[in-house]
Amino acid sequence: MPTNNSETSRRFVFPKWSNLLRPALAVLMIGGPLYLTALAWYGGSPKTLDIGYAPVQPVPYSHALHAGKLGLDCRYCHSSVESAAFAAVPPTQTCMNCHAKVRANSEKLALVRESYATGMPIPWVKVHDLPDYVYFNHSAHVRRGVGCVECHGRVDRMEVVSQVETLSMAWCLDCHRNPTPRLRPPEFVTQMDWTPGEDPAALGQRLRQERNINPSTDCYTCHR
Amino acid sequence: MPRWIVYALVILAVASLLPFAFIARARGAKADRTRLRPIQNMGTQQKYLPQSENPLFADSRAMRPAVEGAVRRGTVIDDGAFARGRAADGQFVAEFPVAVNRALLLRGQERYNIYCSPCHGLTGAGDGLVSRRADALQEGTWVPPLTFHGDQVRGRPVGHIFNTITHGIRNMPAYGSQIDPDERWAIVAYVRALQRSQSATVTDVPPDLRAGLR
Repeated sequence: MPTNNSETSRRFVFPKWSNLLRPALAVLMIGGPLYLTALAWYGGSPKTLDIGYAPVQPVPYSHALHAGKLGLDCRYCHSSVESAAFAAVPPTQTCMNCHAKVRANSEKLALVRESYATGMPIPWVKVHDLPDYVYFNHSAHVRRGVGCVECHGRVDRMEVVSQVETLSMAWCLDCHRNPTPRLRPPEFVTQMDWTPGEDPAALGQRLRQERNINPSTDCYTCHR
Repeated sequence: MPRWIVYALVILAVASLLPFAFIARARGAKADRTRLRPIQNMGTQQKYLPQSENPLFADSRAMRPAVEGAVRRGTVIDDGAFARGRAADGQFVAEFPVAVNRALLLRGQERYNIYCSPCHGLTGAGDGLVSRRADALQEGTWVPPLTFHGDQVRGRPVGHIFNTITHGIRNMPAYGSQIDPDERWAIVAYVRALQRSQSATVTDVPPDLRAGLR
């Protein structure tokens, strides 16, 4: 501390570097909202929140084994998919079609046997869950030749099913505006590894004309 | 500028990137937890959707199982050949109660490949992948399906095959609840087609296509 008691030395003087505070404040006022917006946009995006959701199921059912290795058609279990809006999770009876005889004493299947004996449903966890204000219709898509794999990914390779697409509105609209690259002949809808023998866009264009596929982008197509 | 302010600013700048790093990691990873829904927008409504839960009932099914004796809309109410595969005298019918045409066969092929081929194989030889795996497990509970191409199955009237699909036999569960009668008949027609194809001779091939055979 200086020992002389002059007026000047007692007065507080902002140090020279404090002049930087004014531009710094401007940077903060512009950069702060930008930062928060970017954070919300990136963190709140369906790509962050929805893709990769892979809940633990009550029974460790492997699609990779059943749909992949054993080659079961999707419709063996999800039999309502062609005729109903909802691709139903099968009743326990469907599991027991085989598991009454195959792996009939497996520890992993204890819950299935219990459900079959008591009639209580197996509490499967829904993976692809659209908001309740969306009225998606499976049969409308499957029968027009939109393959399962387009929305659900390679389920036949998944030990545990996870969501691979955002299922967001923008994603739906992408295809509703231009469905041609995602169309296939309806007999191949469940075939996960199907590849068109030609340019997918050209094939899609042809299928679209043949079957008169003109997906609507009106609000009430999906929201009622 | 004091050193500590410089340090604080550097730390702040680095820390401000951390949320992005965490989000980037979350993007690539799988998560088994319930998803965050920052903006609900009535995404979850107080209504019951197919296969949703209703705690009011002991089994928590919002969709109530049909009362015994209830008849589903579109159910064929018929105890004749079409619905049972049996004639009035209880014998299996030998003639199809539906018109057999190309459309029926194609439908039958599609349904057969979905519901039957896992065990019976794509040609009906009894070598489906599920059957093969069940055999390989050697649990002693599996009876492999009969081939369709032996005399035993070839000699069966169509009503018998229809009845087997409906009610099952040995290992085979009843598929009556999974496959509607018209689809069952389509499958029977396709099984007949498979049987013919597996015991075909060169005379069954149209003359103009025989040259293409090796």
